[in-house]
Amino acid sequence: MRITGMRYGAPILKLAGFPVPEVLHSNATYESIEKLIEKRGKVVVKPIFYGGVGKKGKAGLVKIVDNVQDAMAAKRQLFFVEHQFHNEKVIANGVTFEEFIPSEYEIYFNLNVSTVSRRPEFTLSIDGGIDIEELPPGKIISKSFDPLTGLKNYHIIDALAELNAPQELVSALVRHLPKLWELYNDYGFITLELNPIRVERKNGRLHAIACDYKGMLDQDNPLTDRLNLPPEIFETNLSEFEIEVNQLRTYQGQSDVAVINPEGTITSFMFGGGANSAATEILSEKTTISSDFGGNPPYEKMYHIARIVYKYWLEQSNVLLIIGGKANNTDIFVTYKAIFDALRDYYKTHPKKDLYVVSGRGGPNLIKGFAYARDILESLEIPYKFFGYDSSMIEVIQYAVDIDNWMIQNNNKTKHHAYQ
Amino acid sequence: MPINKCKPFNSYVGITDLKQIASKEDKVLVMNILGNESRKVTPVSHVYSEGNVVAGVQYGRPGVMKTAIGDIPVYSRLADAVAKHDFNTGVIYLPPAAVYHAVAELLHYNKKLKKIIIVTEKLSVKDQVQIRAIAQANSVDVFGANSLGVADAWNHVRIGGGLGGDKPEELLMKGSVAIHSNSGNFSTTITEYLKTQGFGVTTLVSSGKDTIIQYPVAEFLYAAQNDARTKAVVLYIEPGGFYEKIALDMIKEGKYHFTKPIIACVTGHWKAKLSRAVGHAGALAGSNDDAASKEQWFKDFLNVDVFDPENTDTVSEKGALVNSIQQIPLAMKAVFDKRRMQLDFEPKGDLKLKAWFGNDFDWQLPGNLKQAVGKAISPYDEEIERVNKALGAVFLRQNMRNASGASTLDPKTHIAELHGKKVTELAQNSYEENIFFALAKIPPKKQDIRLINNILNHLSQVPEGYFNLIKQAEKNKATPNQALMTVLALNPDNDKITYARQTIQNFIQLYIDLNLRDLSQEIDWQKFKDTIKTVFNFKNGQTHIDKWNDFLNHKSNALSLIKYITANYEVKDGDTFIIAGILFHLFLPALVKKKISQDTIADTYDYFNRIALISILSTTDFDSNDYIKSHIAGRTAPAQSFTETIFKAVFNYEPDTVSLKEFSTLAGITLTNGPGTISAKGAKESVSAGNQIATAFMGFLANTGLSHGGNGFVGIRYLLNAFGSQQDFNPATKNIDVEKIAEQAASNFGKAKNEAKAKGTSYERIPGINHPVFKGKPVNTDPREDYIYKQFSEAGIRNVFWDFYKALVHALKRQKITKNVYAVNIDAVIAAISLKLMWRLYRQNKVDEKAMQKIGFNLFLLGRTIGVAAEIDDHRNRGLPMDTRTPVSETRFVM
Repeated sequence: MRITGMRYGAPILKLAGFPVPEVLHSNATYESIEKLIEKRGKVVVKPIFYGGVGKKGKAGLVKIVDNVQDAMAAKRQLFFVEHQFHNEKVIANGVTFEEFIPSEYEIYFNLNVSTVSRRPEFTLSIDGGIDIEELPPGKIISKSFDPLTGLKNYHIIDALAELNAPQELVSALVRHLPKLWELYNDYGFITLELNPIRVERKNGRLHAIACDYKGMLDQDNPLTDRLNLPPEIFETNLSEFEIEVNQLRTYQGQSDVAVINPEGTITSFMFGGGANSAATEILSEKTTISSDFGGNPPYEKMYHIARIVYKYWLEQSNVLLIIGGKANNTDIFVTYKAIFDALRDYYKTHPKKDLYVVSGRGGPNLIKGFAYARDILESLEIPYKFFGYDSSMIEVIQYAVDIDNWMIQNNNKTKHHAYQ
Repeated sequence: MPINKCKPFNSYVGITDLKQIASKEDKVLVMNILGNESRKVTPVSHVYSEGNVVAGVQYGRPGVMKTAIGDIPVYSRLADAVAKHDFNTGVIYLPPAAVYHAVAELLHYNKKLKKIIIVTEKLSVKDQVQIRAIAQANSVDVFGANSLGVADAWNHVRIGGGLGGDKPEELLMKGSVAIHSNSGNFSTTITEYLKTQGFGVTTLVSSGKDTIIQYPVAEFLYAAQNDARTKAVVLYIEPGGFYEKIALDMIKEGKYHFTKPIIACVTGHWKAKLSRAVGHAGALAGSNDDAASKEQWFKDFLNVDVFDPENTDTVSEKGALVNSIQQIPLAMKAVFDKRRMQLDFEPKGDLKLKAWFGNDFDWQLPGNLKQAVGKAISPYDEEIERVNKALGAVFLRQNMRNASGASTLDPKTHIAELHGKKVTELAQNSYEENIFFALAKIPPKKQDIRLINNILNHLSQVPEGYFNLIKQAEKNKATPNQALMTVLALNPDNDKITYARQTIQNFIQLYIDLNLRDLSQEIDWQKFKDTIKTVFNFKNGQTHIDKWNDFLNHKSNALSLIKYITANYEVKDGDTFIIAGILFHLFLPALVKKKISQDTIADTYDYFNRIALISILSTTDFDSNDYIKSHIAGRTAPAQSFTETIFKAVFNYEPDTVSLKEFSTLAGITLTNGPGTISAKGAKESVSAGNQIATAFMGFLANTGLSHGGNGFVGIRYLLNAFGSQQDFNPATKNIDVEKIAEQAASNFGKAKNEAKAKGTSYERIPGINHPVFKGKPVNTDPREDYIYKQFSEAGIRNVFWDFYKALVHALKRQKITKNVYAVNIDAVIAAISLKLMWRLYRQNKVDEKAMQKIGFNLFLLGRTIGVAAEIDDHRNRGLPMDTRTPVSETRFVM
């Protein structure tokens, strides 16, 4: 659950009373843009990307212009602009027109949880505005603090001293930075990053104003609901399939899914984080989805998940794989009954095509679960192999891959008359 | 708060030796002990650990948790438990939002607390960090969250989650390897795998894989070094967090010594491609705690490349790095060999593919993919043998309030289905075919229908006294449903029903013992005489079965078994035995196909008995019905269609094929209207309360009445009024002008409506027209009515009352009384068919209005009894005791 940019960042920061520039949205009128330019002589035009997308400046996607015509030209250019971020190609969904803040300093500030100190930690640099990875040690500082007492003024003062920051910056930053902890702590953030905070001199005094925003919210923290953010801004980087499965998240048990290859030929139900890791790695591009349905899901949840999985992926799949280690808690009968009841129901409304079912599992009610699945597959005349937990899970996954390869090689002509 | 830092760490770490993690000295309290997970897991842990749980807390619900070695007291708040019990370990099973509060509560009340294990998953990062802070301040070690707990094979102790499932003693074989795993499931799976190379375990820690790992690798390795039992460790590692690096750096920097080999399994390389977290909290693209980084930490530390079983250089005395769990045992063996260390025991099993179940059908897989199905490891092999022999379906028990596995009502078409068949389709079957289908879920074989009829006719030969009871009840103004209940109440599960049930169960047992599935297989029963004798416990002799002889000649080994038994043994109550045997023959295919459970087939005698009883007691006037009198005396043809028998009971005249079809159509369309109807609910609630089948049928009957089932006469009366004095016609021919009658009826209605409106009074609606769903179009139809009308038209069956209804809706529109052409609904169909069937009696003055009301009500009950039988059986198979209870939150008090 990540949000970047000032479209949503500005109102969030205002909740904590952190100063932000004036921000106009895509639908701003000529007059309002003109007024914004008049204020500072310039305006900043940025594309809006849903989700956690950064490095816009580096990609030349931030335009600073000084007249409405250029601002509108920038809007046209950036409105649906494409941006390569890590492995993903993302497309913009509008622009913002942001008040230009002239600045003598650009500050980097970040709050997150450190897995080293296992405490909240802030990172500060007075040489912000650029990729912080490029900063040499000494120019950037990280400090952890007690989550029970929170971020205090003295933490900031001490850090600035270590960075040898000019004295005039101290008051400007100490006045506002600790407010971000309240925002972070009270609204369910995992990371909160402002880069840059521009520091403007007004009447001889310095004022800090957040000019870009990046935040990651904790989907397991109900405090995030307080932000009242429209759900679609998080869901755009999720597929329809993922959104549909996520709606079942409130049930007991994991239901983490990710589409790996929409053209994949093996669809897998993975149980447990370990199986998820192992299977996704071995199946690689063959698997349509990566999933973890461990944690003893109740029948209804598993049935609905299976129904959704089949709806999206079964038609293109050669192999249906159900894989997990020896379960400790998960009732195999309940989960297999749900998975195979849903399969039976799927074929009530869909034509049959070649499918091979492979499963490797262990745990409570294993044989009852296997036998139930067998009965349904026998009645549907779908071929299958079930392996016990005394077979290596990795070998079972490999077996699914081999079956898939064989089906592809034979152009899916799997029946006796076609293959010799 | 100051933290009691424990060297070599910069934080509090109470555990200095792995053997302290789960020890016999630990006394445990479980929070939310009666919750879903703990209810299953805690008793197993308690028994395995020989009683380490001293108490539990269940907010607002004190009591006890029963275990095989005694009860665990459960308190409604922690303060009460602390006052009575000493414990050093808290286990938390609460929902995520309550976990931090529970940790605070444990620390607040119990100053002797040393350990907390958090099983709960999906904890917020904020709570994880705060838990860490307060636990540190109070000098308490925490495991989890999202942990499957900890276990120790040497100490025979398991705390927290369910490592080893419900059989921890099977999993936890004493040995020399300690495991720290980010995956709970893999702590178990790796333990199993290690056995294949002869390794057992000391301590298992399921660390969880939240952002904050409260008991991470550094602390674990330190305690492993100090544990004399542990000779090596396995670390199962997923991306995210710097925990392993911290540990390896501490060792490298000499903060503590670690001299034992490490087998590190790092997985999750694929996650580096993602730009958001999936599954266990993982590293994201661009972070330097992804799988590749973690592998590099271990390569550097162990001074090896990724393990290759063929290359001994890929292990060092310090250990090995593997990227899949199946390599762990081999890598461990290679390291042990290198160090010349002894295995814990002889290797047990291997990790090769072993198919336990499989069928390739006609697929011709190449040799390497064939994988023949082999024998599973013990004790699974015995269980597989058992399930392979098992007959029948097993249903998952669940709350069946407002739910049914038998019937549904399509919200769009409003057509109800029973076992996936629309009532409009079922309406084409005979009454007896539908009785069988309701219970078997498959249609009967053609040659079996006469057997079904024979049984139903036999079971409907009830004592004459029952009809007198009905008469008496009617005299006392009982409604037909009420009268039927009086007889059912007198017939609980008697010896006959118990005997029939036992007989069918014996047949099932014999078929299981002999592994028989196919009725057509010819069997020389003499060969199995010993088994037969043992299963049925018969005396030698003979049983006379003359009247059944003709019916046992189908090619069926079950029927030949009946013959064999009756020829060689003296069977008590031969009729009941034979009926039970025939029912076994009839229902075995459904059992083999796993459509029905063993319980259902054993209950078929009971169901047939009740349905036959309710059906025959629908006789309209027993005193004048000579046919039924001779029927109950056993003087009618035994294989006559039961539809005909019941037709004669209701109408007391000889039906032609058209009348029979009309009659069975009526029964078919009223079979069910989904599980939400109050008649079905009455039966389901009775089952839920724990009643016998007979009582459940009474629940159904008690939930019918003048508004449900008994209202059919309203339509009949309307038709009689509409046709007025014109009674000299045959409703099956065209000798009457229905259009004219319809115009007149529409006009009468229009006038009455206008008058009532002028006066401001209410007026009587026309029954049988309009529908809450099928409305609003210029011309509306109810698809059920339409379907049956077409069926009848194709068969040349005409009904002037029905035609009248179809004309009426047009006349109403023509006369601008309605805005559009209303649908003729299913109530009109029932009224029209019922009146047509009664017409002859009505014209001959053989029935008065009261009798017509009774017939109308009984026609509904006849159909619905069949659907309800399916509902009762479904609820008995799937439901839970008291599951139809309405939660208090849904009830309301009204003023």
